[in-house]
Amino acid sequence: MTQDISRRGLMAGAALLTAGMPGIGMAFERDGNRKVLVFSGNQQVPVLDPHVRYDWSTRMIQQSVYDALLKYEGDPPRIVPWLAERYEVSPDGLTYTFHLVGNAKFHNGDPVDAEAVRFSFERGLKLNAGIAWMLKDFLKPENIAAVDARTVRFTLDRPFAPFISYVPWWYVVNPRQVRANQDGDDLGRKWLTENAAGSGPFRLRRFDANTLMHLDAVPDYWKGWPMADADRPSGIIYRIIREAAPRKAALQRREADIITNLTPDDIEQLSRVPGVVVENHKGSTTFGIKFNCQQGPTADINLRKAIAYAFDYDSLLAIHNGAAVLMTSPFPASMAGHIDVPGIPRKDLDKARDFLRRSRFPNGGIELEYVHVQGLEDARRIGLALLDSLRALDIRVNIVGQPWPTMTSRGSKPETSPNMMSVYVTPVGTDPDTVAYQYHRASWGLYYGTAHYENAEVSRWIDEARGETDNAKRMALYARIQTQIVADQPELFGMVANRIWARRDYVQGFTFSPVRFTGEIDLYPLWARG
Amino acid sequence: MLGYLLRRIGLAGLMLFGLVCLTFVISNVAPSDPAALAAGPDAGRSQIEQARRDYGLDKPLPEQFLRYLTDLAHGDFGRSIATGRSVGTDLARYFPATLELVILAMALGVLLGVPLGVLSALRKDGPADHATRIFAVSGIALPPFWFGLLLQLAFATWLGLLPTSGRLSVFTEPPPPITGLLLVDSLLTGNFGLFREALSHIILPAIVLSLPCLASILRVNRSEMVEALRMDYVTAARAHGVTPWRIVMVHALKNAMLPTLAIIGLRWGWMMSSTVLVETVFDWPGIGLYAVSSAIAGDFKPVMGVTLIVGLNFMIANLIVDLLYGVLDPRLRRA
Repeated sequence: MTQDISRRGLMAGAALLTAGMPGIGMAFERDGNRKVLVFSGNQQVPVLDPHVRYDWSTRMIQQSVYDALLKYEGDPPRIVPWLAERYEVSPDGLTYTFHLVGNAKFHNGDPVDAEAVRFSFERGLKLNAGIAWMLKDFLKPENIAAVDARTVRFTLDRPFAPFISYVPWWYVVNPRQVRANQDGDDLGRKWLTENAAGSGPFRLRRFDANTLMHLDAVPDYWKGWPMADADRPSGIIYRIIREAAPRKAALQRREADIITNLTPDDIEQLSRVPGVVVENHKGSTTFGIKFNCQQGPTADINLRKAIAYAFDYDSLLAIHNGAAVLMTSPFPASMAGHIDVPGIPRKDLDKARDFLRRSRFPNGGIELEYVHVQGLEDARRIGLALLDSLRALDIRVNIVGQPWPTMTSRGSKPETSPNMMSVYVTPVGTDPDTVAYQYHRASWGLYYGTAHYENAEVSRWIDEARGETDNAKRMALYARIQTQIVADQPELFGMVANRIWARRDYVQGFTFSPVRFTGEIDLYPLWARG
Repeated sequence: MLGYLLRRIGLAGLMLFGLVCLTFVISNVAPSDPAALAAGPDAGRSQIEQARRDYGLDKPLPEQFLRYLTDLAHGDFGRSIATGRSVGTDLARYFPATLELVILAMALGVLLGVPLGVLSALRKDGPADHATRIFAVSGIALPPFWFGLLLQLAFATWLGLLPTSGRLSVFTEPPPPITGLLLVDSLLTGNFGLFREALSHIILPAIVLSLPCLASILRVNRSEMVEALRMDYVTAARAHGVTPWRIVMVHALKNAMLPTLAIIGLRWGWMMSSTVLVETVFDWPGIGLYAVSSAIAGDFKPVMGVTLIVGLNFMIANLIVDLLYGVLDPRLRRA
């Protein structure tokens, strides 16, 4: 009886508390008679400037408000013409000439002309931040020429085969708007942090770095829209929800139409929810455990091999609930030139013991440090699997979680780089150079170069492949590079985890492309049915 | 009184300086390279060195510290390394959201904690006292992030009565700020729809934030009331036939409020810092969330800025409490 009363009291209290609250939980929001789609992820967009920063959430917004000469689309990724309708490469691989479409307009009505393209590449190189590393060693700002209003010519210092694969990430800004908002000689850097000066399918309506981005569709986008005119959404909101539970709740309640940053455990749970579709695609982000190849026990190649043969690779698949594929090469399978390297280590304890005997630690008896990003549960569990696997060799593993900035700082020098460090790397383009270069001597100390791997021959092949204009010869070089890297075992080659999104079933036009970053999708083709 | 005030302010200034030193040292002891962070994930060495120069990180630490102090004296909190934005501007943007949350949570804590404390003191060892004790102990013991997730699950996911997170619906553009406190601004402009929306968003985080505060106010107030009700002056008042209501509200409560006030002052500062947890769970765009996202990125200028603001709040709240003590207790005024 008392229980009844208290329950009634509780209900009354709850009713009182929420009396007059606005009704929430409708299907998609409408703006006039058009829909607004909501995409939710965990990562903020601190800097929108396309020449200063990129990460998955940032680039998703940049791709929506800006255009580039070319664009990546589809799976496997293709490079399609965008602001440029076509381009030519000179036979010596030094000169690239782009011919622009005639009808592209910036959001303020200014035409996108050759000068805008020249200005944008020059700005990217001069700011020397974000994307600059892609081209700065091969292209000088003065060697970009606006030949006429619709022709831009790039003259490289020396042949650089990956050039075209980076062009889609060089977004074009409106020079007039940038100059008008310049602060001193900052090339508009301060202003472009929170404002946009682009020609993309969406216009920036609201920028709130910590909360949300609201994008308005440009009705007369110069390139047109892929959906029927009546279906075109009024805009898209990128909403930041940091915790996984409320983000999933938002999808279930239709406060969000698509969400990302899901774990493999969520796949099953969400696919049971009526009206929710899970997008589960093979990714391109490689997971590897980098050995310190210069200092400490792991400088011994036999010990590295022993570890690689002792590790239980199936545990990687188990940890990801099967939503992952094992690496068969240092390159992810979506990468041009990828080969399945024959004899890439799989668990074989006899071989492992054999290599251990040949190492400086024939009986094990050592402790190795395994460092992973603090709070990253998958990486920690992989550490546990490693610990378990290496027991057979009498090698102890000390699993340490550290913040990412601390890890990168430790990994920058061979003296401080941990014995083993788990690192996820997403290649920035489809060209094999993006992955191969991680194993070049010049990458020492960068987050993907914490192994401090040295093989002068491999470095030389990588340089050679960069300048090779004959594609067949180039791919043959990459096959050699992959095989040699696996032989040297600078890291334990792990797996490529799937990319996962969940969306309401009325969301149409979802397209996956492995070249985009982890949570990133192309917002341009999205619309809502019904 | 004026001398007392000046002494207190001077002391607060010294403490603030200590805090500045401490935050600076802690941020620079942390083994990460801010220049690498500023330059971006794939940056090469030349880019990292350029970022180091841009942010003055190539200078020796004492020089950096001196520069930080000089900038602070001019009200400049420095620039965030991750965004390049001014930390002062960011703080000004995010602080009102935190302030609104803390004010509401404090109001809940005081308006519920004091009466419940009085009630349980009056019904000492009765069922009401036991019930509030259980409530208070769990209020202090529940981790805020867990309790927050639980409330979200109950009120947003299951019952669907309240939104899960945020300060306003994503479709509502916040009005131009007057005070920056949405509840106040919406009332000032007579926008009651906005008021309701803001209220529905703030309720859950405010409850979570207020719970430990409410619990400690309740417990302190209860024990002080129990003590006060035993005093001779209460017996004397009762003997004079003063109404029980007047005895409790005027004679006993006024005396019991002194330690309660101290707790309120401390809790104000505590709440400012626990917004770090609550704001993350509810994506509340305040300084707590700002501090968390910056700390994760290894961006220390914002963290230092938030620490200073929180520290300043601690000091101001305690200063006000000290002054109120003087008002409530005439003996302190003379001392």
